Amino acid sequence: MAEAAAASPPIEYNMDVVKKFIIASIFWAIVAFLVGVYIAAELTWPWLNPGSWLNFGRLRPVHTSAAIFAFGGSALLGTSFFVVQRTCRARLFGGKALADFVFWGYQFFIVMAALSYVMGYSQSREYAEPEWHIDLWLTIVWVAYLVVFLGTIMKRQEEHIYVANWFYLAFIVTVAMLHIGNNIALPISLFSAKSYSVYAGVQDAIVQWWYGHNAVGFFLTAGFLGMMYYFIPKAANRPVYSYRLSVVHFWTLIFLYIWAGPHHLHWTALPDWTQTLGMAFSIMLWMPSWGGMINGIMTLSGAWDKLRTDPGLRFSVTAVGFYGMSTFEGPVMSIRQVNALSHYTDWTIGHVHSGALGWVAFITFGAIYYIVPVLWNRKALYSTRLASWHFWIATLGIVLYIVSMWVAGIMQGLMWRAYDQYGFLQYSFVESVVAVHPYYVVRLLGGLFFLSGALIMVYNLIQTVRSPTTELPREPLISTRPAVAVAVPVAGE
Amino acid sequence: MRTEVGDWIVGPMMAIFGLIGLYVFGKANDGEMAVFGASLAAFAVVFVFGLIRRHYDNVDAARAAAKDDRHG
Repeated sequence: MAEAAAASPPIEYNMDVVKKFIIASIFWAIVAFLVGVYIAAELTWPWLNPGSWLNFGRLRPVHTSAAIFAFGGSALLGTSFFVVQRTCRARLFGGKALADFVFWGYQFFIVMAALSYVMGYSQSREYAEPEWHIDLWLTIVWVAYLVVFLGTIMKRQEEHIYVANWFYLAFIVTVAMLHIGNNIALPISLFSAKSYSVYAGVQDAIVQWWYGHNAVGFFLTAGFLGMMYYFIPKAANRPVYSYRLSVVHFWTLIFLYIWAGPHHLHWTALPDWTQTLGMAFSIMLWMPSWGGMINGIMTLSGAWDKLRTDPGLRFSVTAVGFYGMSTFEGPVMSIRQVNALSHYTDWTIGHVHSGALGWVAFITFGAIYYIVPVLWNRKALYSTRLASWHFWIATLGIVLYIVSMWVAGIMQGLMWRAYDQYGFLQYSFVESVVAVHPYYVVRLLGGLFFLSGALIMVYNLIQTVRSPTTELPREPLISTRPAVAVAVPVAGE
Repeated sequence: MRTEVGDWIVGPMMAIFGLIGLYVFGKANDGEMAVFGASLAAFAVVFVFGLIRRHYDNVDAARAAAKDDRHG
């Protein structure tokens, strides 16, 4: 195989589309963090809610969609195109036009979705807010994405399909299934944006949370695990700690995640047995999640020293730590008795952000710091010191965010359930709102830290691409180097 | 210079999306549908122009490369 590879002409990979996705991902990261900071301020000081267009209710889905689909999605699509070409030794299937359609079509979806939210159109389904016409458009783009990715795998020149591609493919296929299943709706007319779901009552709720939890499982976990299994070994220059464990990780995760959705509906009209099923499968998810985490971290065996010198790798490995932490916390919160305290409180917001900021954003930053010098043919990052600053500022931001939300959430839960000796509720709802105010200020501060770190990254990456200091030395066409080393005169000689 | 098969599929597909966008824009019952239809039509036009531009850029590049070869 290696001899055949050496004999065959070099493959002209389509890296243009990867570059576009990486730029889009960085751009949307700033948008998502900026809107996040603003809506955190709106919650802290309600007078910041202006007219209907920019109030919290409309901007909140702009923030979540920008973070998940725009920032995370663009990073996933871009890195998947990078990884599948490199590991299959094949140019993207379908030519440049189809790859460009996937890129621009996906960006069009994001812009249209965000615009519809601020205009007041929403299906009111969490992480599935876009109305039917935008859902249809995303389905078309997603099918094109599947065709490009699967087609590239099918025309591969490597016999083996590397495990990162398994995770990416699971992400693509399952998200397609979830998106279509959850968004089946009847529009009031073909030329009206409003539609109604075909599901009703508790069936509607369970379909939504089958989608919602698996959006976490397959969009925010499986896809980014694909990223982890490629970029950590590449940055550490080590093989995956256990390839067999990665395959076990894949199959157990895929099998277990799909059942965990009902834990979002504890203490509701959902039948008890279904709630218990969701809880049991959520707890079983500890095993694959921690197996994957151990595999990611242990890949650094023999290369731990690189954590000191490579901030990109530090981002990736810290991300895996956050992955382990949030996948421990999630199953704990899915236990019905714990959920009775945590549900509807800010504890959930803290949990989501330890996953979104600590895992998703950090693993993406790690991949971006690795991929930008490679794509733009630069010898290294402009400044590892700035990347290091980004790491510590962002980490501090996450700590401020999640700790404040844990405290606020547990306090809310305890205040809501407290009652006096006569059986009356001890606190009115507004007292719990007043009590969490200081923690909302701390959360806002955490968000500002995270945004500041990302802005440092943007500056560093722009300089990496533009600065002459990062240019690769050009090899002369005919070597002018003397055969024998010449003694260099030293000052004073 | 060879036109890829994908160009022949994506180009007409985008033209159809553009026409659908115009039709939706024309018949829209609400502001959101009007914005979506108009944006889809505009997106399709810009995308197809991009395809045409890239095609002629490639033709020019191939011609320049052939000229370089002839002149050694």
